[in-house]
Amino acid sequence: MRPAALLLLAAALAPGAPARGHEGHRPATGRDTAAPAAAAFPLPAPGTYRLPPIRPAAGGAVLDEAGRRLDLLGDALRGRVSVLALIYTRCGDVCPLANADMARLQDLAARDPGLSGRMRLVTLSVDPEHDTPEVMRAFAATWRSPDPAAPAWRFLTAPDRAALAPVLAAYDQRVDARPEAAGGGLSHLFRAFLIDRDGRIRNIYSLDFFDPALVLTDVRTLLIEEARGR
Amino acid sequence: MTRVRSRPSGRIARLRRACTALLLAAGPALADETCQSPYMVRITGVEDFVYVWTLGVEGLGDGSDKLVTVDVREGSPTFGRPIHAAPVGGRHEAHHGGFTDDRRQFWAAGLSDSRIFIFDVATDPAKPRLVRVIDDFVEKSGGAAGPHGAYALPGRMLIPSLSNKDGTGKAALVEYSNGGDYIATHWLPTAEAPNGAANAAVADGYGYDARVLPRRNVMLTSSFTGLDNYMRPLPELMKDAEAMKRFGQTMVVWDFHARQPRTVLHVPGVPLEIRWAWGPQHSYAFTSTALTSQIWLVHEEAGGAWRAKPVADIGDPAALPVPVDISLSADDSTLFVDTFMDGTTRVFDVSDPHRPKQIYEKKIGAQLNMVSQSWDGRRIYYTSSLLANWDKTGAENEQFLKAYAWDRKELTPRFSIDFTAERLGRPHMMAFGARSLYAN
Repeated sequence: MRPAALLLLAAALAPGAPARGHEGHRPATGRDTAAPAAAAFPLPAPGTYRLPPIRPAAGGAVLDEAGRRLDLLGDALRGRVSVLALIYTRCGDVCPLANADMARLQDLAARDPGLSGRMRLVTLSVDPEHDTPEVMRAFAATWRSPDPAAPAWRFLTAPDRAALAPVLAAYDQRVDARPEAAGGGLSHLFRAFLIDRDGRIRNIYSLDFFDPALVLTDVRTLLIEEARGR
Repeated sequence: MTRVRSRPSGRIARLRRACTALLLAAGPALADETCQSPYMVRITGVEDFVYVWTLGVEGLGDGSDKLVTVDVREGSPTFGRPIHAAPVGGRHEAHHGGFTDDRRQFWAAGLSDSRIFIFDVATDPAKPRLVRVIDDFVEKSGGAAGPHGAYALPGRMLIPSLSNKDGTGKAALVEYSNGGDYIATHWLPTAEAPNGAANAAVADGYGYDARVLPRRNVMLTSSFTGLDNYMRPLPELMKDAEAMKRFGQTMVVWDFHARQPRTVLHVPGVPLEIRWAWGPQHSYAFTSTALTSQIWLVHEEAGGAWRAKPVADIGDPAALPVPVDISLSADDSTLFVDTFMDGTTRVFDVSDPHRPKQIYEKKIGAQLNMVSQSWDGRRIYYTSSLLANWDKTGAENEQFLKAYAWDRKELTPRFSIDFTAERLGRPHMMAFGARSLYAN
């Protein structure tokens, strides 16, 4: 595991941590599917169901951990099945949960040697003012698995808010400042996206349903579809 | 077959649990309809507005279907008054609708011509604005017609249909992105095309409601009738013995993630609204059957099989009270059941879901359809209209929104709006709005 990541998550849970309600709401009482006690259910076998294309994934100018300018779609998403998560590093509530799920997804995928070279994880910050490439590099070191068998996990940010705006709009992701929140809190509804190698969105996950085993089943379903030549 | 969380990942999983528990323990009390999609953003605090999807009436006001905003802010100078109406132009048999998962849009469907009207409710929550009309639902879906509800899924909407381009009751579930792009159509199973469903011999293909219990990966659908029935005047329809046979008798349990029907449940008498219980260990749902006037329980058994059984009568079934909307409290303890013909609401203690007991009843009006309650269960709202051609006529054609306070013993009036006197139309589905959702 990643001790630094766990420390970060623990810090988020500590008294006095930045305000947590950045989704603008609490998880539904009792209905919160992230509650692990209520989460066990059978999944369909990979390849036994369809994931119809929802819409094309969007590109846009982003920066990698080294500060290199890339196109999100052409350089970071196309070519492999990708799982894209939109978060920000100062987030003290749902983003650490999502990061932990991405880390678990990477760990699970690392166990399948045929998988890691055919998929990737991408985390994109929605907070370019704070999340510079340097910050994302340090953040990546916290979360990314050192296991050479693990699939790639890129940590990206945008050059500025103007460059980020069309990307957020294309992914139907509203992000607002929360002036009342300490530590630069933002308000956004977490979503992650499953994107096929041709750059089409094939599934959208809320935090409640962003379960690594389920996401990996979807990834395998797309890979089986590729192998069948659609 | 893999299982979600069958292999917990140690410290990350434990911290995730702790974090989730902390999130659940923190924050202000919730207030919202208890029947909304679990994927949807929730209101914190008390609702500010009730949006009412209203059928137009020829010669009344502009005669158009419209989304009416009612101010329900205690202390507001316009408390209990309609403060805005967003007409869509023409009459489309306005019926049900729902918010997107981010609650920025309200999708309102028309049963007669299959149009879906998308309102922006975020820019000014007091004044929803029509921003898009989907007018090719039948063509895009491959022949589904009569879009009924609109149910939020992550980044997309699930639209159960009642009918098809031929006007019969063969129905489908149709998915759209939040942006209004068509994604997929899933037809309800029939005996001829079971699509892998067990017990398909009773499958009738009718559709009505569709709701998800995410933690069990289960979607449940119910069944009504097709366009050729629901657009006919009710007295005429009820005299047509053959037409009366064309009503739903089934519910379907689906593998939600795969969108594949798993098993067909025989639920005779037209099962309509579905309400999943909220408790983390409560793997069951209620429905009511319109023609047999019963509460049915759909529940998961220890081995994972799903069963349906009648658990209570609603009024006197022989008198055909016609139960319509139902509403389950957030603590799963009480179920409100409205019956159209006698205009009565009944409250059942369902703390033992297998043995509901009626604890209260009150006549709300000459006719009654929808009921919505706040998350804390203290505020209850009712509307009157069922379908343009099924509503009562003459003096009994009361068209209202009535608001009550509920203290678990008595309904106390808060306000009432006469939608005919206000020249608005026939009020049908209600949904709550709040400025706090869009504070930024």
